[in-house]
Amino acid sequence: MTADMTHDVVVVGAGVAGSLIARRLTTEGLRVLVLEAGPATPSTFEGYLQHVQTFYAASGKGAESAWPPAIGAPQPDARDLRSDNGYFVQRGPLKYGSTYTRAQGGSTLHWLGVSLRMLPEDFELRSRYGRGRDWPLRYQALEPWYRQAEREIGVAADVADQTHHGIEFADGYDYPMRRIPPSYSDIVLAAAVDGMSVRLGEDEIRLKVRSYPAARNSIPRDGYRPVGAVDIRPDGLGRDLYLGERCAGNTSCTPICPIQAKYNAGKSLARANPAYLTVLARAVASKLHVDPVSGEVRGVEYQRYEDTSSPRHTVHTAHGRIYVLAAHAVENAKLMLASGLGGASGMLGRNLMDHPSIYGWGLAKAPLGPYRGPLSTSGIDDMRGGAFRARHAAFRVDIGNDGWRPTTGAPDTTVVDAVQTRGLYGADLRRYLESTLARQVRFSLNAEQLPSAANRVTIDPRYLDAMGNPRPVISYDIDDYTLAGMAEATRVYREVFSRAGIEDHTDPEHSTWFPEVPYAGGTMRYHGMGHFAGTHGMGNDPESSVVDVDQRSWEHRNLFLVGAGSFPTMGTSNPTLTMAALALRTADRLIAEMGRSSHRQQPYRREQGRSRDLSSGGYTEDRPPEGLGDRL
Amino acid sequence: MARREDVFISLSAGLTGYSPVRLIGTGMCDQYLAELGKVLSDGMVDEFLSAYARPPADGGCSVLKVLRDARWGPVARRVMILWYCGTWTALPESWHAVHGASSADTDHVVSAEAYQAGLQWVAAGAHPAGARQQGFGAWALAPEGV
Repeated sequence: MTADMTHDVVVVGAGVAGSLIARRLTTEGLRVLVLEAGPATPSTFEGYLQHVQTFYAASGKGAESAWPPAIGAPQPDARDLRSDNGYFVQRGPLKYGSTYTRAQGGSTLHWLGVSLRMLPEDFELRSRYGRGRDWPLRYQALEPWYRQAEREIGVAADVADQTHHGIEFADGYDYPMRRIPPSYSDIVLAAAVDGMSVRLGEDEIRLKVRSYPAARNSIPRDGYRPVGAVDIRPDGLGRDLYLGERCAGNTSCTPICPIQAKYNAGKSLARANPAYLTVLARAVASKLHVDPVSGEVRGVEYQRYEDTSSPRHTVHTAHGRIYVLAAHAVENAKLMLASGLGGASGMLGRNLMDHPSIYGWGLAKAPLGPYRGPLSTSGIDDMRGGAFRARHAAFRVDIGNDGWRPTTGAPDTTVVDAVQTRGLYGADLRRYLESTLARQVRFSLNAEQLPSAANRVTIDPRYLDAMGNPRPVISYDIDDYTLAGMAEATRVYREVFSRAGIEDHTDPEHSTWFPEVPYAGGTMRYHGMGHFAGTHGMGNDPESSVVDVDQRSWEHRNLFLVGAGSFPTMGTSNPTLTMAALALRTADRLIAEMGRSSHRQQPYRREQGRSRDLSSGGYTEDRPPEGLGDRL
Repeated sequence: MARREDVFISLSAGLTGYSPVRLIGTGMCDQYLAELGKVLSDGMVDEFLSAYARPPADGGCSVLKVLRDARWGPVARRVMILWYCGTWTALPESWHAVHGASSADTDHVVSAEAYQAGLQWVAAGAHPAGARQQGFGAWALAPEGV
């Protein structure tokens, strides 16, 4: 084992939270080391395109298909869910249905890009509805960082569409880019659905198809320049490609945007101050060393591998003044537990949440033009908040632009069904497919899940990965509060289908396999949204939370655990934007504490171009792309 | 005798409902014939094409004759899926038992090009996901023919 490297801040994880923190701290002249467990993601556009080719040729085209994992940093895969022989050890009673990616860039490499703010009432669920917990900060307190996050990751939306459910924006504010144009399908559905009302208990709720804010590049406002594809060549110099500065409708946000018009964390790393940043990929943080008296972290032990197909590695330790775990809600908890830092409160790893979701799919009367455009551009948001939350979970209806792809594997399965089952060929086959594929529509109904101490990540010495690190052992259930919300969501989508003249073809017996949960004498099939949260929840009380409002560990004062793991509750928005806002807020706290320019540190390097300062082969970020300087 | 490429395209047009020009335009003919050769053997591909090229004794439809043939029907249906999806679907065990097995006869995407060339995207009035982008905002327009 070698002890090496001293930094101001050691960040574990090059996903969205870690990359945003690294960018902000290095811009202020703090020296940051980022350790990434997974493979490096190419900084050249040519290298990135190889992942696009991997996706084209992949037999399954799931979220992970463009991003093969390393032996040393295994990851969950949706294909393992049914057979239960994947990275997770699923203890049940239900299966946790979500996955994530361990690679430089994290799951932002294949996320959908929807960037909804949480509702003001989401931060006060206990006070308002007697459910879940309150956050230690309110919407208004986080709002400035929501604005910053929307600029950092580049969110396209119109404030005029988003001011509802009590969401308020600062005076004069609008998103950095105009909204992504709604799809033809959104427009047709809105004409049929807008103004209809549904009942949730006592509440009558009027529905409206509403544009989703998304971290995809659109028409900029007020001098903002969209950040397109990253292309930093081996000479260390970035090329300005003008590529990806608008979404071009590749219909492939997941698993890979071929032109990087959608945000990924690599864009933030590329825009960090290279003189103060070191990124080391293929470096698996395996243990935190802690001072037994003060509780402060003294170093991060990590395993460095060169070959992604081998568990061979060397062991090193990185040192800094401050440590930030940004490795993922599950990986953060796993690393703490593996370091013997479960904590006195017993809360670490508990309260694991997701958005358990239900699909509804059908055929419209006339073509809606699916399989075109960003995978979702609108949703029905009206059930995200309201008095009913005292009784059952809130939910959101996400409208897909990709036909039945996520639910049945269409269009391929539609072809196979037409040929093999229906016996069609020739002109009849072509006419059938033209008529059917163009009318496919799909909703995804995402329900809020409350924190429950029994839903948790643990480790067990019997279950280790190839490098000897623990695999996450997951206990998971969905309670009646959430199940009741899922049942209501099912009823609502059927009413919406009926109103819009969509023939319901939802048939979990003939679809992609999804886990099932019994409810009210029947069975519901659910899927995960990849929205892991809650494993190191924030609060005002060290007895019932793991981190404080700044995401600082109560027990280890130079340690921060960031990401959706810090969420006390989930709300119904996908977590990335809120995670980004919290990360930027934490970065500002660190800057205030560690000193700005008055204590400016020596950079790692001053020379032009690429420098090789670390153990060989590490991916190091260097100069920002030319022409990007004005955007920093 | 006609070139095997011509016979294959003629049969494929009858199976898929797309014109020979459209199929040739995908640029996939040679690759698909080679793929069939790997899965079945070149000799068997020739037999398959001959079965189509011989006019039916009763003067009926050559495509239907192939589809109804116990040996060639399952192959012809996989050729349809090949053109529409760019994937090969393994023949059933019962077919292998009678006509022979091949280690190349597995479910697989033929190639990155084959994925992009799938006629399913044309039939949907769309484009292959992740390729042949239609441009900013194109998704807001009505699909072709509406």
